[in-house]
Amino acid sequence: MSAEPLIRVAGLHKWFGMLHVLSEISLEVQAREVVCIIGRSGSGKSTLLRCINFLEEPSAGKIMVDNLVVEAGNRGREHRKLVHEIRLKTGMVFQEFNLFPHMSVLENVAEGPITVKKMDRSKAVKIAEMNLDRVGLLFKRNEYPNRLSGGQKQRVAIARALAMEPQVMLFDEPTSALDPELIGEVLNVMKKLAQEGTTMLVVTHEMGFAREVADRVVVMAEGEIIEQGAPDSVFNAPHDPRTQALIERYRSGGAK
Amino acid sequence: MTTEHLEGPASVEDPHQAMGESLVALQQRKRVIQGLKVTGVWIGLIAVVTAGMLMLHISPSYMLEHYDVILQGAGTTIYVSLVSIAIATILALFGSISRLSSNPIAQGISGFYVSLVRGTPLLIQIYVIYLGLPQIGEQLTGLGFPAIGKLFILDAVPAGILALSLNYGAYMTEIFRAGLQSISYGQREAAIALGMTPWQVMRRVILPQAIRIIIPDVGNQFIAMQKDSALVSVMGVWEITFIANRYARRDSKYMEMFLVAAAAYWILTILSSWLQGRLEKRMAQAYER
Repeated sequence: MSAEPLIRVAGLHKWFGMLHVLSEISLEVQAREVVCIIGRSGSGKSTLLRCINFLEEPSAGKIMVDNLVVEAGNRGREHRKLVHEIRLKTGMVFQEFNLFPHMSVLENVAEGPITVKKMDRSKAVKIAEMNLDRVGLLFKRNEYPNRLSGGQKQRVAIARALAMEPQVMLFDEPTSALDPELIGEVLNVMKKLAQEGTTMLVVTHEMGFAREVADRVVVMAEGEIIEQGAPDSVFNAPHDPRTQALIERYRSGGAK
Repeated sequence: MTTEHLEGPASVEDPHQAMGESLVALQQRKRVIQGLKVTGVWIGLIAVVTAGMLMLHISPSYMLEHYDVILQGAGTTIYVSLVSIAIATILALFGSISRLSSNPIAQGISGFYVSLVRGTPLLIQIYVIYLGLPQIGEQLTGLGFPAIGKLFILDAVPAGILALSLNYGAYMTEIFRAGLQSISYGQREAAIALGMTPWQVMRRVILPQAIRIIIPDVGNQFIAMQKDSALVSVMGVWEITFIANRYARRDSKYMEMFLVAAAAYWILTILSSWLQGRLEKRMAQAYER
């Protein structure tokens, strides 16, 4: 892990009004690494993820993605351009899918390449079809999102992010809005991406997934990273009592 | 797996099928009877009003002789309303986007526009545009800018269209704003995360969804405007109300002519509502697919 990390977050703070939701966060993600962020609701894990592609404006600190460095608090044209480039390098998957309901499945996935990258329609459609195939939903290409199950929607949303060919995929609780029987198909797609060497940063409550797929698990509580390491060491020998409590709750079936 | 569950019971013979069918038939019969009763009340009301008119010596033959001049005015009413609603829609589109933008100039101008127009009567706006603006035009001509001055002196029909467009544009700005705001924030975030610029987010994601919500309201505004367009008669535009007024005064047949005019507006409104209903149905289908 001596190479330059793909993502580096340094000294990140975020306030919502008087609420200090992220405090002095530092985190690195290497290329091809899968990092899962776990923690109780309100621990700041989603906010951390959303700060990386500036869906939330960080209050202080630095975000670095693939050698692009953005400092919090900057403004102006240069800053907006950097943020835009960071968004092109990161793909985002949301808890609530957020598919575009007025577009077919194929149009949803081709939308980024066509509108943002100004790609030829035929070329964008090819890329969209390839990525729909990756998530196993090419046969739904002409369907509209409201005709899909939650699991299928999320898989299309993953294909939509992949079609932009990002350097890293950010997942914000991708299975939390799903019925239990639909979670598996989404996790399987994510597992496949991990095996293909996709760099992934995943905020999740799915401890089983974190344990099986992650290279590293990051534990957050009260706006801070309290512990991180290989899944085995975090799950089997947690240091922080809050991590122990989190894992205990999961083992007794109450963590979801 | 779920389809199996849904289709299962339907294929099985239901011993109580007949009971369900007779209940549905009973409900349908009730609905038809209710509809007939309501229609009866309408016919009764029209009969009472007509009888009253005849007793008061209203002349139906005068009304029948002059309904064609009203029809001529209806063309102007429709023309003025259609052009005005089109311009108002464009104004409302830009107005609402400006109101929601973070640009202080855009926000300021659109807020000022909506507040000013909604805070003043349409009739005053018509007077200002038709009678007030020419004063500015004359002064500009006096200062040596006759070409610019001429722009401020409007004929009655363009002045009426301008007044109605500006007025409805302001009200519709608020309707459009509500429509744009009704699109969930997640849609915007998903588009931003893909790397879209604010304008691309608006054009590709927000507007196409908001328009579906806005269209029925635009229809309502159009129906309201057909009747508000009566106010442009004060400038001498030959539309329904102006013509009715003219004949009414000439022949002292006030009730007759204004009743014909009222009927013309009423029929226009009914036709517009019908068209609006059809349009909405078609749009709903397009979304289902």
